[in-house]
Amino acid sequence: MKYMILTFGDQATMMQERTVAWVKEMIQFMGELNAELQKTGEWISAEGLADPTAAKTVRFQGGIPVATDGPFAEAKESLAGYWIVDVESEARALEIASRIVRFVEHPIEVRQVMAAPPEL
Amino acid sequence: MEDLLRELAPQILGALLRRYRQFDACEDAVQEALLDAAQSWQALGLPENPRAWLIAVASRRLVDEWRSESARRRREETVGALEIAEHAGEWQAPAQDDTLRLLFLCCHPSLSVPSQLALTLRAVGGLTTAEIASAFLVPEATMAQRVSRAKQTIKSSGVEFELPAESDRGPRLRVVLHVLYLIFNEGYTASSGPSLQRADLTTEAIRLARSLHALIPGEGEATGLLALMLLTDARRAARCDADGSIIPLAEQDRSLWHAPQIAEGIALITRTLGNAPVGPYQMQAAIAAVHDEARTAADTDWPQILALYGVLEQISPGPVVTLNHAVALAMVHGPRAGLALLGKLDSDERLALTHRLDAVRGHLLELAGEEAAAREAYQRAARMTASVPEQRYLTLKAARLLRS
Repeated sequence: MKYMILTFGDQATMMQERTVAWVKEMIQFMGELNAELQKTGEWISAEGLADPTAAKTVRFQGGIPVATDGPFAEAKESLAGYWIVDVESEARALEIASRIVRFVEHPIEVRQVMAAPPEL
Repeated sequence: MEDLLRELAPQILGALLRRYRQFDACEDAVQEALLDAAQSWQALGLPENPRAWLIAVASRRLVDEWRSESARRRREETVGALEIAEHAGEWQAPAQDDTLRLLFLCCHPSLSVPSQLALTLRAVGGLTTAEIASAFLVPEATMAQRVSRAKQTIKSSGVEFELPAESDRGPRLRVVLHVLYLIFNEGYTASSGPSLQRADLTTEAIRLARSLHALIPGEGEATGLLALMLLTDARRAARCDADGSIIPLAEQDRSLWHAPQIAEGIALITRTLGNAPVGPYQMQAAIAAVHDEARTAADTDWPQILALYGVLEQISPGPVVTLNHAVALAMVHGPRAGLALLGKLDSDERLALTHRLDAVRGHLLELAGEEAAAREAYQRAARMTASVPEQRYLTLKAARLLRS
């Protein structure tokens, strides 16, 4: 079963709230987590997104698509990065997310990837 | 040639294991020998004795590997193996049980389910890691890691290349059957990725189930599983339309069903029922056979299906069985009877998070003429499924009811 584990937030907030030591530890933690997921054969992909301040939002206005500067969501609700893992159960996906949340302390969302066999 | 290689793969591995024991090293050597064979036979034609050729090459690979290792003592111990490899043609005929032993080994309960699937496909099915990775839509490195971890687990838990003890055989066989069933089911996923690759998994599962059945023809559940796969896969061409959308059983073009496969499945299940202890795979195959025998959806012998679900509910109760039982009940005694049975599942936690209860409820409500309630049930189901074609199907069902 594939799950996407999503983290939210932006760098500005992180830099205001966090110490250098924390950021370094966080980088190390992410590296270790990725290595571990690769080792267990559960890793599909993981990416971090550029800061939302550089984001553009494309809206459909008056019948035409219009691009404007800025993110669609509030900074703290903005997608910051994700992992996609292929795990045995939802419980295992939650276990991985729990380890991340212990570190980032912001809520983590766990979503199943649409890849289940149809069973109608 | 590929078929021949796949068929020989577990035999070669079995032969090596009996002599050298080390599962991980032997398995690697066999994979390499299979790749060598694919290239060399393509260029030079089939050798006189393909099995002996593969054993010789795999043994040489194994010895080369050991030679290159630094442990000197180990090297000396195994030098003699080269000579053995040269005489591989004289090795005893393949032990009938090798493939069976391998299946039990790859489906060992100490392995996680994804590992069991991967290892079975590689060691017994003879698929490459790249092929397995692409079938499961994961990166090759991920699958390679999964395979190597599984082998590591086998090594460290000291699992032997042996048939399980008589007392343990029943539960262990159930795991093997379940793994083959999951491979088949995975192949049925047309949700994403190249669908042909997925169909390959279905074919592979049938091939493995066929060889398992040949090894233990007296095991009713192994026969039942093979029959179930054949009878289900026979409808493959009719299951989806051109854009991959699901076509439900009742609306399928039955002229597209694969008649020889249906005939084979029916023959298997007919021969088995009554001659072996009954089990859930046999019952599901029997139900699939009744569906496949009906020339039109209206010809379906629902009373017989209802009776079979009654038996299945007794021998292997579970919410999914009850769900299907409710459909059969509705077809015989009307949608209200089916809905009443569904009501019993509302408190079942095992189904709380799945879409299936609401999908069936929507169907029965629609049959009962309660369109608004049916639409709501389909919408709930569409939101809960994790399958793309299923989500589309349920969304369309709901949308059609909105229009009418």
